[in-house]
Amino acid sequence: MTYLILSPKRLVQAAMIASSLAVAAPVLADDASTLTVAQRRDPQNLDPIDTFRLSWGSIASNVFEGLVFRGEDLELKPGLATGWEFLDNDTRIRFSLRNGVQFHNGEPFNAAAVKYTFDRLLGDEGAKGPQRSNYTSIVGVEVVDDLTVDFLMESPDPVLITKLAGYGAMIVPPKYIEEVGEEAFDMKPVGTGPFVVAEYTPTVGVKLEKSDTYWDGEAKIDAVDIRFIAEDATRMAELMSGGVDIALDIPTPSVETIKQNAKVDLVAVDGPTVILTRFNTANGITSDERVRRAISMAVDTKTIIEALLGGLASPISSAQGAKSFGNDPALAPYPYDPEAAKALLKEAGIAPGTELTLDMPNNDETFREVGQVIAAFLEQVGLKANIRTHERSVYFNDIISNGKTGEMFYFGWGGWTFDFDNTAYLLYHTGERNNPYIDDAKLNELLQKERSTYDTEVRRAALQDVAAHAHKQVLDLPLYNEATLYGVSKTVNGFVPAPDKRARYLNVTLD
Amino acid sequence: MSDVNSSKSPNLLTRFFYSRYASFEFIAGVVLTASLALLVLLSGVLFPEGGTKVDLLARLTGPFLSWEHPLGTDPLGRDILERIVHGGRISLVVGLLSALGSVVVGTVIGLFAGYYRGFLDSFVMRFADIQLALPFILLAITVIAIVGPGVDRIIVLMIVSQWVQYARLVRGSVLSLREREFVQAARSYGLPNRKIIFRHILPNAMGPLIILLTLNVANNILLESSLTFLGLGADPQTPSWGGMLSEGRSYIQTAWWITVFPGIAIMLTVLGLNLLGDWLRDELDPLGQTR
Repeated sequence: MTYLILSPKRLVQAAMIASSLAVAAPVLADDASTLTVAQRRDPQNLDPIDTFRLSWGSIASNVFEGLVFRGEDLELKPGLATGWEFLDNDTRIRFSLRNGVQFHNGEPFNAAAVKYTFDRLLGDEGAKGPQRSNYTSIVGVEVVDDLTVDFLMESPDPVLITKLAGYGAMIVPPKYIEEVGEEAFDMKPVGTGPFVVAEYTPTVGVKLEKSDTYWDGEAKIDAVDIRFIAEDATRMAELMSGGVDIALDIPTPSVETIKQNAKVDLVAVDGPTVILTRFNTANGITSDERVRRAISMAVDTKTIIEALLGGLASPISSAQGAKSFGNDPALAPYPYDPEAAKALLKEAGIAPGTELTLDMPNNDETFREVGQVIAAFLEQVGLKANIRTHERSVYFNDIISNGKTGEMFYFGWGGWTFDFDNTAYLLYHTGERNNPYIDDAKLNELLQKERSTYDTEVRRAALQDVAAHAHKQVLDLPLYNEATLYGVSKTVNGFVPAPDKRARYLNVTLD
Repeated sequence: MSDVNSSKSPNLLTRFFYSRYASFEFIAGVVLTASLALLVLLSGVLFPEGGTKVDLLARLTGPFLSWEHPLGTDPLGRDILERIVHGGRISLVVGLLSALGSVVVGTVIGLFAGYYRGFLDSFVMRFADIQLALPFILLAITVIAIVGPGVDRIIVLMIVSQWVQYARLVRGSVLSLREREFVQAARSYGLPNRKIIFRHILPNAMGPLIILLTLNVANNILLESSLTFLGLGADPQTPSWGGMLSEGRSYIQTAWWITVFPGIAIMLTVLGLNLLGDWLRDELDPLGQTR
């Protein structure tokens, strides 16, 4: 699904201004330009191996680089590696590294840095963070020469090349880390990217400065000031008043306001985040598959998308969007059919007026509305849904992971790889943190199968089977795939919206 | 009320005009509070659906456009007027119950502490000092993070933190009252302490208590709104004024009516109660002796 909100006229203007700026640049040189960005959350740690948050991605994609690069078009391209080939029956992947690249502190990028990065990720230091488990298919990295490395694979990892383009696989400088120590690196990391971390103040923001040694051109602005503004309304107020140039994480209720503001553009692309309500399949009335199916048929997700979300989302039939690898376009969501739902509930022996609980975090303005609409739909078929809100960290660390939810609970997840593997594993594999209730041998087997081959077709089939199996058993109620929304001031040019929320500011200019 | 009882008065209007009730504070206060109370009492009859009926086709309808939604609708197409009237229930229930609860707890503790003095007195009053030093919002956030949000918890929390004001006020009055002649006299007749406290001291300490009570109700209505605004009070489905403000704030530039009308409702209610409180203070304590 494509969203056309930015007018074509403005794109032309952007191009014109960008080209004229080359001439104007020397005049502006002494006038330091700072781009101000607001995002909802603080990643709390800037070290690539210590985090899995999208809020990290929108900062660190400007600071770090991986061997592989994936930009806004989601195509995999050479990054710090200029190319790679599969050897020895796919058990060895050889990467040729880019020559002449430097870390921000002047340290050279070379095979030793790559080896250090992955030794660290797969070793004790990596074991402390959440990223290591994504890369355990790698046995180790061998240095062939200064600009060539071999990755030895324990088992085939079909998503590896994608995963080398982000998060835990970002290349880090060995000498710098040895010198300053792990804790200092969390706060002031050094990478090879177009921006240098100047200052990180937890809960307040990150200040980035242009790197003078970047190998792939130079950033057009001198500095980026990223502020963490957790409160949606405050972040929007800053955007509207011109306090920030770009705001990430736009809540749906603010869409209309941004559209009406003459100084700010709303930019939308298909995002990685899917929103579902999951079922408590272990206890309560939702342990009955018929009840789960009835609930799925009672909620009209199309109306939610069209009327409530202003069309800025697309319908889904499993916990992935249309761009995700493993999505089966032929799998249709359960149709909206309240009469059939009532019949199913009756068959399951659920009396009209039966109550159930829908749990959600208390600071999600969009879902606060969606949840109430779901409750209204359920009321139509005779179920009374009570919404229970929780403080966000309590919700994810206790209510979900310890299985304390009611019959239904909110879950939102964005697998930045756009590969169903990540989301499916976390939702359905037995014993995962976010999966308190489901223990299904068939799902475990399918997930194992999909993880152990490079054969794209076998994987696609297995992942589609996972989706189909979850759909058949109605393990959750997939609601919609959120569009990634950015609010961008009209003074900003050259900002390309990243679907995966890994916003990059390399080519941004300011009027 | 001897002036009202005089049989020779010319007519009701004149009598009213010269009575103590002919003040702006009293009339405005009574009109505002009474109409609110009436609306809340009749909310179930006026709007049996309880302001929870979702109609996405009618979402964000502006105010004053139709009789169906005189004050417009919210993002889910629910009627604002209906929700304000029903939201008044939460506000009033929380305001009244929490104030009454604190007044009962606080008065009893204050009476006994002030009358018996000694260890009980110093213990309770030092405890009160600690209690007063705790910011309420902090206490609320902590407790609610542990036990989960809910209106009942808010009421209990308010009582726990507000009884102190009453206890201190009552204790202060009791300290002076217990030395007065009529109390000495009652004691010399051999009346039991409990009777002296409740028959002779309490009625004389009532004036400032009632004033504080009206102001406290108003204050707690505001507090409940703030807590719900922060997501700590009523659940999202129950209409409440604070919740409406919170839900409407993202729309304030495009749909002002979602926040403005509940805001006006809060303002009028609090204003009415404050005016009544002011009037009561002038009546019961004209010289400001207890301040």
